[in-house]
Formats: sequence, C-alpha cells, structure tokens
Amino acid sequence: MTMDLKEFKKNVLAHGSDLGNWPEQIRETGQKALDGAAELRALLADAERFEGVLKTRRYEEPGEDLAERIISASVKKEKAPSTRNGFFSELLQEFWLPKPALTAVFVSLFFALIIGFTVGFLNSSGYVSAEQDETNLQNLLYYEGEVL
Amino acid sequence: MNLDANVSHPDDESLMREIREGSHDAFAVLVNRHSKRFYRIAHRLVFNKDDAEDIAQEAFLRLWHRRELWDPARGAKFTTWFYRVVINLCFDHKRKKRPSDRTENLEPVDVNPGQDAQLDARRKLALLDGFIRELPPRQQLALNLCFYEGLSHHEAAEIVGVKVKALHSLLMRAKTTLRDKANRYLPGGSV
Repeated sequence: MTMDLKEFKKNVLAHGSDLGNWPEQIRETGQKALDGAAELRALLADAERFEGVLKTRRYEEPGEDLAERIISASVKKEKAPSTRNGFFSELLQEFWLPKPALTAVFVSLFFALIIGFTVGFLNSSGYVSAEQDETNLQNLLYYEGEVL
Repeated sequence: MNLDANVSHPDDESLMREIREGSHDAFAVLVNRHSKRFYRIAHRLVFNKDDAEDIAQEAFLRLWHRRELWDPARGAKFTTWFYRVVINLCFDHKRKKRPSDRTENLEPVDVNPGQDAQLDARRKLALLDGFIRELPPRQQLALNLCFYEGLSHHEAAEIVGVKVKALHSLLMRAKTTLRDKANRYLPGGSV
C-alpha cells in the first residue's frame, strides 16, 4: 500500500504532524511514503511549524477557588426558596429573544399603536360636537318632562 | 459515599450513580476532579475567563439539581456527556452575547523581513484567537477537542455528534482555513 502526497497531506491535517499519533493501520504506510519523498518531508516540516503556532495559544487559568465556589453554590441554591423575582426572571429568560428580534417586535408594536390612533382620529362617526351634545340634552330634558 | 480501600478513586460513572442517589460528597469529588477541564473547554469557546467560570459553574449546578436525568443504563461516558452539556451552554451564551472584536478590519501584512518583530507575541495570540473565533462552530469544536484537549477522534466525534470521517473533514477544513489566514495576516509565510 502506498500513500500519495494528497493523502499524506490529508492525514497530516487530520492526525497531526507526529506520525506516532497516526492510527496504526496508516502509520507504517505514512512513514514509508515520508522516507521516500523530500516533498513530503517539507510538507511535514511546514505542518510542524504551523502546529507550533497553534500551540502558542493560551487561556487564562480559572480562579483557585472555582471548585469550592461550585460546591458551595450547589448547597446554597438548594436551600434558597424560590422567590417571585426568581420566577419572573426565569420566565423572562424562557421567552428571551435576540436583540434584533426584540427590536423588530417593539417596532411592530409601535407602528400598530400609531395606526390605531390614526384610524381612531379619522373615524368621525363616534364624534359628538358640543352643539349636538347640547341638543341631545335638550331633547332628553324635554322628553323626560313630558313623561313626568 | 462508599469510599473503602478498593474504591478510594471511584470512576466518574460510579460517582454519577452516587450523585443520582443524592450524595453531595460524590458531587464534590466530581467537581474537584473535573472543574478545571470543563472550565478550559468553556474558555476556549467563549474566550473570556469570567464567562467560562460561570458556564462551568452553571453546568455543574444543573448536573446536581437535575441529577436524576443521568441514566446509567445508557452506558455513556460521563465526560463525553458532560462535554456536550458545557458546549451547549457555551453556544447558548454566544447566541445571547453580541459578537465582539472581529478580525475583518485587519489589513494583510506585507511580507518583508523585520516586520515580524513589529508584531508582538500578544498581538499574534489575539490574531490567532480571532481566526479561531471566526471558524464555523463545529470546526471550532473539532479543533478544540482534538488538537487542544487531545481527545480521541472517536470521543470527539461523539461529542460533536458526527461520524469520525466527518470529524476529520471538520479538522482539515479548520486547519486549512487557519493556515490560509495566518499566511495572509501574519508575516513569515507559512507560519
């Protein structure tokens, strides 16, 4: 079994530049291919350099008391009775929307409100002028007087 | 907790069985054993110490408060299952948080001798973090689990929820993209 450049490159990307970490079934073939081709050795050296760069990545160590904090929080949380605030914040979290979606909802509601007001003002059928109001009152008084 | 001479170092799955029965001592052992490991993967995914600590804490608290959800009959490895819990919390967190400093505005660096020295190590690290941050989520995951955490490809594939072959493909694409970006933005050619 042989391994060409393309396959070798794929394996280097998937399993790394250390052939010792390659799966047993391809390690030997990879090693043979490497021994016979300068091109593959150059490719491997390049991959080693690249992995070296990736390995420079650092992360911040956690606080010394992380485990302790988690353990004590688990006790506290169990003891704490559920409050109304806790309930509402959990409820809000359940219905949490991403910012753009939330903005879209508010904008839609705002426009619905504006349209509602506009329609309300334009629709004059329910509007009663002061003059009409006075006439209606006179009619009522006149009518009631007649009954009495 | 059953801690006699023969089981002074119970495995994770035994601890989970005890936790399921309500043993807080077993929970404490598990937290002491794994909190740093799960903090680390959270930090690699959310790029922030405080957020990663919060996520690790939240994951363990969920484990404790919903301990009955662990089903020993499934035969799942604790770490595989818990990686998924932590990773899901990380992605929830990322969805809620506004995307921040990206590398799109960076100008490609002219490759000329001496310029390498101008980019200090810190900036290079920030760039590298930026490149990794911009990878699609599953590629990021594959890279972090296999390359940085050193998990077996089989376990990593189970965590990501893909077949091993698909995991290889994710890894290859992640590394190819990173290499291209490194070549483009960092001096020194193939890094």
